[in-house]
Amino acid sequence: MIYSLTFLIILANYGSVFCYEGSIDEELLIKPLQSNQVYAHFQFSTKWDIDPEKETFRHSSLFPRPIGELIQRFDIQELHVTLTGGLWRYEKWGYPVVDAATGAEVLAWFKPGSDVDTNWKLLANSLSGLFCASLNFIDDLNTIKPEFSFRPRGVVDSKFINSSHVRYANLPHEIVCTENLTPWKKLLPCDSKTGLASLLNSGHIHNTRYHSVGLHLRPVCRDKSCESLSLELQQTVSLVYDYLILGTKNWSLRKLFGQGVNRKCVLVNKSDIYVDTTLTDVELEPAPDKTVTSIRGGQTTVLQKYEVTNTFLNIYAKYQNADVVPLNLPPPLHANQYLSGYGQERGGIVTKIYNNHWKELDVVLLQNIPWFIPIYLHTLKVVSNGKELKPLQLRYIPARQRIRPNYLEVLLRLPARTSTSVVIDFDYVFLKWQEYPPDANFGFHIGSAVISCYLPVAKNYTAVPWDMTLISDSFNASRNGYLVEIRTENLIITLPTPDFSMPYNVICLACTVVALAFGPLHNITTRKLILKSNKKVQLVEKIKKLLNSLSKTKEE
Amino acid sequence: MRLITTYFLVFLITVIQAFSNKSHTNNWAVLVDTSRFWFNYRHVANVLSIYRSVKRLGIPDSQIILMIADDMACNPRNPRPATVFNNADQHINVYGDDVEVDYRGYEVTVENFVRLLTGRLPPGTPRSKQLLSDEGSNVLIYLTGHGGDGFLKFQDSEEITSQEMADALEQMWQKQRYNEIFFMIDTCQAASMYERFYSPNILAVGSSLVGEDSLSHHVDSSIGVYIIDRYTYYALEFLEKVNPQSDRSLSEFLKVCPKSVCISTVGVRKDLYNRDPSRVPITDFFGSVRPIDILHDITNVTLVQRKRAKSKKPKAKPKKYMYVDPLVNFNSLNV
Repeated sequence: MIYSLTFLIILANYGSVFCYEGSIDEELLIKPLQSNQVYAHFQFSTKWDIDPEKETFRHSSLFPRPIGELIQRFDIQELHVTLTGGLWRYEKWGYPVVDAATGAEVLAWFKPGSDVDTNWKLLANSLSGLFCASLNFIDDLNTIKPEFSFRPRGVVDSKFINSSHVRYANLPHEIVCTENLTPWKKLLPCDSKTGLASLLNSGHIHNTRYHSVGLHLRPVCRDKSCESLSLELQQTVSLVYDYLILGTKNWSLRKLFGQGVNRKCVLVNKSDIYVDTTLTDVELEPAPDKTVTSIRGGQTTVLQKYEVTNTFLNIYAKYQNADVVPLNLPPPLHANQYLSGYGQERGGIVTKIYNNHWKELDVVLLQNIPWFIPIYLHTLKVVSNGKELKPLQLRYIPARQRIRPNYLEVLLRLPARTSTSVVIDFDYVFLKWQEYPPDANFGFHIGSAVISCYLPVAKNYTAVPWDMTLISDSFNASRNGYLVEIRTENLIITLPTPDFSMPYNVICLACTVVALAFGPLHNITTRKLILKSNKKVQLVEKIKKLLNSLSKTKEE
Repeated sequence: MRLITTYFLVFLITVIQAFSNKSHTNNWAVLVDTSRFWFNYRHVANVLSIYRSVKRLGIPDSQIILMIADDMACNPRNPRPATVFNNADQHINVYGDDVEVDYRGYEVTVENFVRLLTGRLPPGTPRSKQLLSDEGSNVLIYLTGHGGDGFLKFQDSEEITSQEMADALEQMWQKQRYNEIFFMIDTCQAASMYERFYSPNILAVGSSLVGEDSLSHHVDSSIGVYIIDRYTYYALEFLEKVNPQSDRSLSEFLKVCPKSVCISTVGVRKDLYNRDPSRVPITDFFGSVRPIDILHDITNVTLVQRKRAKSKKPKAKPKKYMYVDPLVNFNSLNV
């Protein structure tokens, strides 16, 4: 450690030899939601002006070296990892900055010409070590190559997208706790000592309704001409605090995160906090440095900006009218997923998609269903307000037992103001007895469906535009459309689970039966049965016999 | 002549002693909780107590392999998220703010545990999931869970037998994966787990003898279950008073839980261990104390300027990069 430090110091002195071209910005968006929650989104964006194709990733200063090693070793073009606890409720909360499914989700694009399948497995293993998560359970059994749902988020050199270079897997069972946040924080240049990262204290993160830790890596344009590349690494944390858990509506940084911001991280370029005050009438203390009004896709947003300096900062928000609850306007598109049917034989998976927009919407529905849930394509039914709807396109690869999952992608054009349900039936199957997990009676997870849509309006929309990096870039950034990737609920099904003490009982019973049957049979078959004479022997004859035998022994 | 021989002998002994002391160069810890389900909260608290101590005494996270079979800290049943306490009065949050769990949930299996010890892991296993010890490593192995006479249950679905455990340690010895092992186990009938050991340099301690139950310490009414086991509770109490510089010996540690407080009898097996525990500092296993020399003379290091091969190729036409449409255009599809 000391050696590496001295080495770094030496290197820092030779600035001309080793200089870092890039920057790191940190931002925090606090948005009171229409229901009784407040949403906090942290975003740490590291930009590194290098050519990812030529870079060896031997040296890095702001950019985390472990991530560089992953890029270099596994030929990664783009990588998205999220670890999430809780469920984002689109209907009430609108759209998050980053969509994430409950549990773990990994999406990676590999460079053309690389051995994608091997690299994918090795990448999952490395990520599991890096984030202390069970991502090593990602294998052929839960990996798919979606054709329509995901497209590269970063820049590419060709318009032709080959979906054989993408891999997507989700682990709905994965839990998220401090052990995942600890290594994530270690990737930041200032760790969690200063800057906005000092607000990430585990005790105040895991008591939330929803918490999601993410890492997003992509190549971006270095400048406007877009002839050279930069690497962009976004580290995000999304939290939804409930006023009921906080005990009050009047939140403050200290109340939410346990402490205020001590001082700015010296390595960071920009360190800003934005508080969304569009819907709520709050009094902020201290007064904000700046008020920003953003008009984007037909929606006006008012934000209060704070710049983190070297003085202590604790923002306190006091509601003027605590009893006034803003009207909840559901977003243009949201979805739910649930199970139908009863009994232990047949069931169905229903995905209900609501289009509240006045125009029809094009959506892509992606489902990754485990192999032990055999679905039947002929039962696929799309019904929109009572009328059957024909999918525009369908991609389906049926599962093969213990080899690959079911992959289903449906392209739909949803009529205006409708609710559409996509139903597919499946059978319950028995697993081999060793395939049951230790807590088999808990049930088996089916991961969330992903519904992608390019929305024409930015109602309730917070995400950063496609070609931009920072939250501040999303102000007044109207585009042709706004991408949402809605994640639905995970499902839990109870497969017929045998009684695992049954083998023991069977052995006991079988042994008893064998013992009972074998004993008499053995007796009967091996013993010689001889009739015994009933005649009584007289005493005189007995003495005679005895004398005879005695005389015989004497002769001998 | 005799004097010379004596001198020679003394010299030889000191050399051997110096040699044997030198053979310990690094420390590793393998801490395993084998129990799933909320009612086994205490086992997670046990293993995290030891984790906290070894980390505090200087073993880095990269040299601690922590296996936890279930998530207690972020369990929905936990009224205090992201914490695991050793005491109903919430004295110490043993989970801490910077814990790193290496194997968790379904990954905690007998197979993974034995593979970890013997180093026979599948290719691609990350470093944090490997026991990269060598012939100079002092390894602390701590196990907690539900045990019986000659076995320890993993996740309520499988078990490791004492013979398998002994064979795994022998394989470690043959592969020169340890210098000394301190084997701690807190289960019912714990002593049965180390009875079959036959490899050298192992000191073993168990919380109860064969035929005895190992008991829990107390109930925390806010979580509704027992919070920690007796043996580990007192072990943690002792370890909290140890610091990396202290000269508390291992024999003191072996006496942390007398029968009056533990109720079960703590079993110790010393016959495989050739040092006297009263002379072994506890930091030989729980800490990572290394001799460090500070150099005062300044060395100038100059960087070697690497010559960059100049490409003689004519400058290629600059590539033009672009963002693609975020979603496939439905009108372009052949519907």
